[in-house]
Amino acid sequence: MTEYFGTTVADIFATMPKRFKPEEAKEVDIAIGYEATGEGGGKWKATIKHGTLKVETVEGELTGCKTTIHTDAETFVGVTLGKISALDALSSQKLRVAGDPKFLMLLLPKIFTPYAAPAKKPDAVTARDIIATLAERFRPEKAEGVAMTIGYDLAGEGGGKWTIVIRDGKCAVREGLADPLTVKMTMEAKTYAGMMVGTIEAVTAFTSGQVKIEGDMAAAAATAKYFRKYVVPGATEAEELISLRVTNSIEQRFATGPVMGRWFAGIREKKFLANRCPKCGRTQIPPREICAWCRVRVHEFVEVGPKGVVTHFDIVYFASPDPLTGAVRDTPYATVYVVLDGATEREAITVDLKKEDIPRLKEGARVRPVWAAVTTGSYRDLIGVELDEEEGSL
Amino acid sequence: MATKRVAICAVAQHKNDSDLWHKRFQGMLLDVLEELQAQTGFTFDEETGVNTIVSCSDDFFDARTISNNGVTDVLGAQYRGEEKMAQEGLNAVGYAQAVILSGYADMVLVMGHCKESQSESRRMIANMGFDPFYGRAVGLDNLNAAALQARAYMKKAGLTEEHLAGIVVRARQFAARNPYANAREIVEAGKVVASPQLCDPIRQLHAYPVSDGAVGMLLASEERAAEFTDKPVWIAGFANCMDSYFLGDRDLTANFALKQAAGRAYRKAGIADPRKEIDLVEVMDAYAYQQPLWLEGLGLCGDGEGARFLDQGGQEKYSVNLSGGMLAGNPVIIAGLYRAAEAALQLKGEAGERQVPDLHRAVAHSTTGAAGQFHSVLILER
Repeated sequence: MTEYFGTTVADIFATMPKRFKPEEAKEVDIAIGYEATGEGGGKWKATIKHGTLKVETVEGELTGCKTTIHTDAETFVGVTLGKISALDALSSQKLRVAGDPKFLMLLLPKIFTPYAAPAKKPDAVTARDIIATLAERFRPEKAEGVAMTIGYDLAGEGGGKWTIVIRDGKCAVREGLADPLTVKMTMEAKTYAGMMVGTIEAVTAFTSGQVKIEGDMAAAAATAKYFRKYVVPGATEAEELISLRVTNSIEQRFATGPVMGRWFAGIREKKFLANRCPKCGRTQIPPREICAWCRVRVHEFVEVGPKGVVTHFDIVYFASPDPLTGAVRDTPYATVYVVLDGATEREAITVDLKKEDIPRLKEGARVRPVWAAVTTGSYRDLIGVELDEEEGSL
Repeated sequence: MATKRVAICAVAQHKNDSDLWHKRFQGMLLDVLEELQAQTGFTFDEETGVNTIVSCSDDFFDARTISNNGVTDVLGAQYRGEEKMAQEGLNAVGYAQAVILSGYADMVLVMGHCKESQSESRRMIANMGFDPFYGRAVGLDNLNAAALQARAYMKKAGLTEEHLAGIVVRARQFAARNPYANAREIVEAGKVVASPQLCDPIRQLHAYPVSDGAVGMLLASEERAAEFTDKPVWIAGFANCMDSYFLGDRDLTANFALKQAAGRAYRKAGIADPRKEIDLVEVMDAYAYQQPLWLEGLGLCGDGEGARFLDQGGQEKYSVNLSGGMLAGNPVIIAGLYRAAEAALQLKGEAGERQVPDLHRAVAHSTTGAAGQFHSVLILER
């Protein structure tokens, strides 16, 4: 059965007896004919007499009706749900009433409780259902000055190809993909539906490759704000809650102190200075006031490195943004765990590996430091490490 | 077998300073820890030593999420239980007491630190304590929330500029005798009255200076206290109370939360009339007007009688803030720990030039949240 606005003409008639208010209809004696044309349409007759209601489907001619409503199935559902104005439908002749329309418009709300589309499970909603609601969810006030065409290529059941045109504060949805497009998004129809009803997280769908975006990425990210959130038919419409976006920033000046400070003084001279526990002998990088294992102050400094060996590494594909600037590091990048020559085995340093070396990175690889052109005693002095292949360890 | 009483065996304080730029807070804590060990000889032995540490620090001041994670080595907490009291230091003592009373541990190390100088502005950090929707936007922080309270209280209690100056002058006189205090210079009343308005009616010298510090304490059960000290100071009562978050919900001069906290602590300590049974008081006076206001809340003088209390020599009668108080400078998060440290030293008879004789019972008070949203009260006895 063809659906409009998430429901069918047949369901509206099927629920009529439940919605009937007999006490309001004691004085009513009327037969109303309905003719809904097109997919999902049909003919129905509702007979109301002294507080009783009889609803029947009619094959052939509608007869014996005091008043008859003629319309297409989509308009009928739209008017019933209040998605389409009855007056507009009447004036545009999409809805015609044989009899007294004013009388009907007063009578029906009195003797029937309003029809609500049946609640749908989120997974029953198709991409097509959702695309069909785009125009009514459009927020012109958010799209002022925006001119763009968004293409959706949604594969599988309930999918299709659509172009959304936003221009001059208006939004139009067209079948097929226009050319050129500002941005084109390709995915499974069920992925799109999942993202819209909230069962699939958009960021995850994108980073896992389920969504392919061609064209202007920023435009793709901005589209959501031009539309009110999609609400599954029958679901309680969520109140739009206001949230605030604030960037908090308080400048800090971190002391390094006389112990950790030696490390930074060291790297300014391109030297790695660890401090050695007098009890267990481990070399702490960065140096700290005490050895937490032995609970003793650590005073002795030793130079370690500058070369070392990679014991573990990871490769970051999805970088976390800088909390203040939002800038994201160039990916992929490798974070390596390096035990510097002369350092005790468990005291590694975690540093970046030169990007070009990532394809040849292996556990056990020898590495050497890469220093900044000018060293100032900052953590930026040590840019990272690079593979040290001269020694032939690979 | 749970103990009946908990003792503060020893206290160690880092000297308060306005800008310890050359020292990591880890280094400050380590100094405090070593001094405590030197005083008591306690160890971290698994059977007989400290295995539970209650720390106190603040994520915003340390600019580090879960700030305690970065200091566990210098607390001796590695491989041990460590828990953080983020709210304020005196509460950490209450928490440590509960740990011992429950029988979970028979000795607990309390360690608090804060460097107000590390961030660009402590007022920005205080501003972060307000709701992001409204309070932050109108620039509320501890200072201007306090100034609202100051004006209301001065009107109610008849407190004058001269009273405020007198509180500051006296605080500095005691601070000069406290080697751990920050602002130790003697000031004249005229200088206080002439100091610039920070937030009318609060002048610069009415407000505590930016401070860095650290405090440590060793607490033990009654059964074990004698191993670490021959002068234990007993916790006779501890209680706290939270008032509403939004400033506008509160009568700023009513001392609602403090009266609740004090009443509960007095009941636990068996104190029927604090005016007759308290010998010494340390209140967390971040601003001069707060000293008489909190003393009202503690029941040492009547509602709105703060000015008369000062005029009649109440400060000396109850040995109020002989440490110099917070007015002489403690970081806000652990100002309550400094209050308890002074009260404990006085009861031990180890308060040096500030020592008063014949003390039996002392009160340490602490507060956090704008204009005294939350209060803690600790009753100590010899």
